[in-house]
Amino acid sequence: MTDHAHADHGHGHVKLEYQPSIPIGNGKLCLWLFLSTEIMFFAGLIATYIVLRFGVPANTWPLPHDVHLVESIGAFNTFVLICSSVSIVLALEASRQNQPGLAKGWMIITFVLGAVFLGVKAYEYKEKFAHGIYPRRPRSLIHEKADIYYVQAVRTELKARFDKMLPHEQEYQARVKELEGKADLSTGEQAELDHLKRELLYRPLFVSLAQWTELKAAKEDDPIKRRQAMEMLADAIYPLHHTLRDQEQYIALLEEEARQLPTSIQEVSSQQASLQGDSDKLKAELAMLIEKSTQLSTQRGKLQEQKDKLKPIEAKPAATSALPRGESFVSLQPAEAQPSPAEQKLIDEIAAIDAQIADLAQQQKDRGVAAGQLDEQIAALKARHEALQGRLDLLPLLKEAEQVGQPHHGLNDFLHGIMLPMRIPSGNMWASTYFLMTGFHAIHVLVGLIAFVLILFYTLDVKKAHVIENIGLYWHFVDLVWIFLFPLLYLF
Amino acid sequence: MARSPLTQPNPTNHGPWTADTQMADHTHAPAGEDDLHEHHAPGGLMKYLAVFGALLVLTAISFAVGNSQSLRENSPQVMWAMMMAVSCAKALLVIMFFMHLMWEANWKYVLTIPASMMSIFLLLMLVPDIGRRTQKYAEERWLHAAEPQAAHHDHAPAAGHKGDTHGHEPGKPAAPADGH
Repeated sequence: MTDHAHADHGHGHVKLEYQPSIPIGNGKLCLWLFLSTEIMFFAGLIATYIVLRFGVPANTWPLPHDVHLVESIGAFNTFVLICSSVSIVLALEASRQNQPGLAKGWMIITFVLGAVFLGVKAYEYKEKFAHGIYPRRPRSLIHEKADIYYVQAVRTELKARFDKMLPHEQEYQARVKELEGKADLSTGEQAELDHLKRELLYRPLFVSLAQWTELKAAKEDDPIKRRQAMEMLADAIYPLHHTLRDQEQYIALLEEEARQLPTSIQEVSSQQASLQGDSDKLKAELAMLIEKSTQLSTQRGKLQEQKDKLKPIEAKPAATSALPRGESFVSLQPAEAQPSPAEQKLIDEIAAIDAQIADLAQQQKDRGVAAGQLDEQIAALKARHEALQGRLDLLPLLKEAEQVGQPHHGLNDFLHGIMLPMRIPSGNMWASTYFLMTGFHAIHVLVGLIAFVLILFYTLDVKKAHVIENIGLYWHFVDLVWIFLFPLLYLF
Repeated sequence: MARSPLTQPNPTNHGPWTADTQMADHTHAPAGEDDLHEHHAPGGLMKYLAVFGALLVLTAISFAVGNSQSLRENSPQVMWAMMMAVSCAKALLVIMFFMHLMWEANWKYVLTIPASMMSIFLLLMLVPDIGRRTQKYAEERWLHAAEPQAAHHDHAPAAGHKGDTHGHEPGKPAAPADGH
C-alpha cells in the first residue's frame, strides 16, 4: 500500500502496460456492435407490432386463417432456419479444425436452407397478393366492418362488371345454351363456357346480392336486421368462420332465408293475383263503358240526322256541322224561331244522350285512373316478386361457395378472378405490420445469402474461421429474430 | 516498482474483460486451449445436436400452444405468455450455444445487457399505449373503426340509434375499448 501511495504522488516513473480493450478481433467486435443495434431495431419493430396488435378494438385482429396465413408453413420455415443455424455452426467447427471441404459443404447446405426459407416466404407473399391481402387505402379492398360504406363499395364494384356484361347478355346466354347442348366439349370450349357463366353471374350478384342488401340496409326498420343483412353480404364474399360451427350456423341462416322466401313469394303473388283480378274487373267495366258510350254516340248521330231532315231549309249548315257536339247543342238553343214540337222532342233527346255521354266519360276517366294505380301496384309487386325469386335463386350459389369444412371459401375464392371488397376487421393494419416485419427479416436473410455466396469463393480453412464466425453470428441473429416473429405473427 | 493493482501484469488474467478466454489475436485458434475453468471445448457436435433437438421440441410446443383452440378461447393471455417464454428459451439457447456467448469472456455483457435493457425499456414504454389507444378514439374514428363480426347465433348488440342514417355504428366506444 505504501508503494501505491508513493506511485500516486506521481513521480513519473510508473510504467503503465498496454491493455487490449476487448479480447476479440475487430471484425467480431464490429459485428457484435452491429448486432446490438439490430437487437434494438427489431425490438422497436416488435414493440410497435405488439402495440398495434393489442391496441386495436377488442377481438378484431384477424386470425391466421382469416388472412390466408398457414401456421404449418411458418413452422416449416422455423425448422428450416434452425437447421441452417446448426449447419453454419458445423461449418465453423469444420473450418476451425482446418477441414475446408467439409466447411464448404456445410456452407452450401446453409445457403440452400436460406434459399428455401426465402422461397417459402415468396410463396406465402404470393398467396396473400392473390387474395388481395396487402396494404391498401382504407375502405378500398379491405374494410374494417360490414357497414353501409362496405355495401356501397361492393355494389360499385359489381355494378361496373354488370354494366360491362349487360350489352352482351343475350349473346352470352345464347352461346351458353349452345355450348351446353354439345355432347363433349373441348378444353377451350369448357373454359369459354365457364367464363361466360361467370360473366352471366354478374346480374344475380349485382341485383340479388349487392342491391338487395343495400335496399335492406336502407329500408329495413329494425337496426338488427339491417346489420344482419350487411353481415350476410360480408360473409358471402369473404367469410371469417373460425370453426365448423360458425360455418354451420351461417349455412343455417341461408337455409332459413331459403325457407322463408317462398312464403314471401307466395304472399306477393297472391296479392298480385288479387290485384290483377281487381284490375281485370276494372278493365272489363271500362270496356263496357266504352261500348255504351259508342252506342250512345251512334244513337245520337241518328237523332241528329232525323232532326236535320225535319228542318232542312232552316238549318244553318255552317254552324251545326262545324261545331263540336256539346256546343252544337248550345248554339241550337237560342234559335230565333220556336222549334216545332217534334223538333223540340228530338232536341231534348239529344240533350239527354249528351248528358249520359258526359257522365260515362267521367266514369271512364275515374276507372282509368284507378286502373292505372292498380297497374302501378301490380308492377311494383311484380318487381318485388322478381327480386325475391332472384334472391331465392342466388342462395344455392352462396351455399355452394361456403364449402363447409374447407378453410378457404366465400365468393372471392369460389369465383376466380373476381375480387370484391372484403370485410376483415383490422385487416389493413395486419397486412401493414406483417409485410413490414417479415419484409425486413427477409432482407436480412437475403444479405446473409449474399455473404454465403461471397465466402464460398475462398478456401474455408482455419484462416477463414473468423469470417465464418462473423457470418455465423449474423445468421444466428436472423434466426433469433424469426424465433420471435413466428409466434408473434403466426400464432398470436 | 510501484504498480496499481489494475496494471499488474498477470499471466492468466489480462484485466477485467478476459475472464476465461484467450487473447484477441488467438480467436481463430481452436478454442478451449487454456481451459482455465472446467469448461469443455466450446461447441462440439453432440452439444449442437442436443440444442437442435431442444429447439425443435420448443418449436413444437409453441406450435401446439398456438393451435390450441381451448387455450385461445379460455385464456389467451396464458397462451401468449407461454409462447413468449418458449421464444425466450429458444433465443437463449441460440445465443448461448450457437453464438458461443456461453464461452465468451465478460465483454459479452457490455454489448448484450445494454441492448437488451434498451429493448425491454422501449417495449415497456410503448405498452401503456395499448390500453389507452382505443380510449382516445374520437367519435368520428369509431365510425370507421374495426368491429368484430357479429356472431350468427346471437344477434349482435346493435347499438344504432333509431332514425340514424348509419344504422349500426357503435354508439359509444365503451364496449370495444378494452385492451386485453
